[in-house]
Amino acid sequence: MNAALSQTLIAAEEVSKEFLIPQGMWRRLTGQPRLAVHALNGVSFQINRGETLGIVGESGCGKSTLARCLVRLFDCDDGRVRFEGQDIADLKGADRRAFNRRVQMIFQDPYSSLNPRMRVREILGEALSVHKMRPRAQIPARIAELLDLVRLPSDAADKFPHEFSGGQRQRIGIARALAVEPDVLVADELVSALDVSVQAQVVNLLLQLQEKLHLTVVFVAHDLRLVRHISHRVAVMYLGKIVEIGPTEGLFSSPRHPYTKALLDAAPELDPTKRNRTVAARGELPSPINLPTGCLFNTRCPRAFDRCFVERPLLSDRTPAHRAACHLTDFGAPSLQNLEAIS
Amino acid sequence: MTIVAANPAVRRRARISLPFTLVFGGVIIGLSTIVAFFPSLFAPYDPAAMDYNALLQAPTVAHPFGTDSFGRDVLTRVIHAYTVDMQIALFATLFPFVFGTIVGALVGYAGGWANALFGRVVDAIITFPFLVLVIAIVAVLGPGLVNMYVAVSVVGWVFYARLVATEVQVQKRLDYADSGRAMGYRPLRIIFRHLLPNAITPALVYWMTDMALAILLGSSLGYLGLGAQPPTAEWGVQIADGKNFMNTAWWISVFPGIAIVITGLGFSLVGDGLAELLRTKK
Repeated sequence: MNAALSQTLIAAEEVSKEFLIPQGMWRRLTGQPRLAVHALNGVSFQINRGETLGIVGESGCGKSTLARCLVRLFDCDDGRVRFEGQDIADLKGADRRAFNRRVQMIFQDPYSSLNPRMRVREILGEALSVHKMRPRAQIPARIAELLDLVRLPSDAADKFPHEFSGGQRQRIGIARALAVEPDVLVADELVSALDVSVQAQVVNLLLQLQEKLHLTVVFVAHDLRLVRHISHRVAVMYLGKIVEIGPTEGLFSSPRHPYTKALLDAAPELDPTKRNRTVAARGELPSPINLPTGCLFNTRCPRAFDRCFVERPLLSDRTPAHRAACHLTDFGAPSLQNLEAIS
Repeated sequence: MTIVAANPAVRRRARISLPFTLVFGGVIIGLSTIVAFFPSLFAPYDPAAMDYNALLQAPTVAHPFGTDSFGRDVLTRVIHAYTVDMQIALFATLFPFVFGTIVGALVGYAGGWANALFGRVVDAIITFPFLVLVIAIVAVLGPGLVNMYVAVSVVGWVFYARLVATEVQVQKRLDYADSGRAMGYRPLRIIFRHLLPNAITPALVYWMTDMALAILLGSSLGYLGLGAQPPTAEWGVQIADGKNFMNTAWWISVFPGIAIVITGLGFSLVGDGLAELLRTKK
């Protein structure tokens, strides 16, 4: 257990983040409460050195907000993110820059994430020289190395981002992140903007790079198959909370939270004999402005009972490796499939 | 691999195919600048030389643009006015462009109360009609070119600042700005190296238009006696000189007017061309 703890690289502790909704003068003067979007409502998890944590959930569940909190593009309102035990909100000056260097982010949109007026050489060179990764004379050679690492031809250095395809641009984004030799890569919907045929290339590149460079990866995505393919562990998010977290195979084969089960059931299945037509989750994601009381999933859960409307379930501590936040599975932690067999 | 081999021939052609408006406008401005630096090379006479035997003479071979009420050659004075008017175009707009751009970039990036305060300053300044405000400031400082530059600069920077601030506010929300922050780049680097190059195009284009407007303004103030002072050859002053003779000697006013139009057109064309050239490729 101690060995496992010392391996923890990033720990999120009850991270909460809300965004105030701009409101008019009238509402403010009449003293009406400010409305806020509750993007994250107490998210806790740990990421071990060298592992890939997949974070899945519907759009609007707070995945991207969480990713941005991890690299400190957002400061969390409540709770903290620790990097090697240190609260990242306390980092200043050189420490903060060192943290920025070691925890890098890759962005979702291959079009807006690269400065359209900078050549690839300038984009990579700037990262290298600001963080003093190499003496000035060695920078061109390092740029060539980085391009080779992400399998772009060396003449890519003198081109502008608009001369590349979406997949190539994501690789430039990866090269930029790798330029500063980080320990952690936070990939926010890395391939969701790409054609399916290109997705595999980019994801496999990420896997190879992770192995080669011993990276720790946080892979945020809504595509379950991708997450399953790439992650060691998976966290399922719903309305700004983790509802289930566990090893990939365990979570996919025996989900413990009704929402995870609903997500898995909703994923398209090629084999018609395996298709199931039961409705696992009704309706839409509730508004993150007015969160449901009790369990956040109670508005859509097919199995909700009285307790779910009163008490918000916590991530179960009974099974530390594979935890779910559900009253149904909290006691004795049988998987949902077993529960169904019983009922 | 799906790398599209960029055809060098295509790329080279793309590089030299400047927009027509930019080339045409550039030629006008280039020639105007040459004339402005070396007016004596082009002017047939001395701009102050008076010929009492040729007062208010209509255009002839000796005086292609005619002569004014002092017998000065109008062509010579139009040519010498290039020096003053091109100077006005540059000096009345350079400070507003540079200062306004810097302020706009900082304010746009900072947002919040800085932006709110800036908004009120802009409101306060644009409430007054531009010309009236400039005239009021010149009236306080006294007439003359330098005071005119000061007056125009005090007012003019807000237009650039507003353009840049708006654009920076759009750009700073894009992922590449976040990527700079995630890299640990300092705000000044993000603002001036990343955001500004993507935000400056509207201000640059406006600058060109503004140079044309500055010449018109300089001429207006010259006409009102608040800008360049009479013996100086300046288009506005010349038009003012000719206003008493509009029925009998139209050439005194018309030729400087044409010079204003051509120069203004040149700046506008360059502005248009720049807009096209700098448009971000997607």
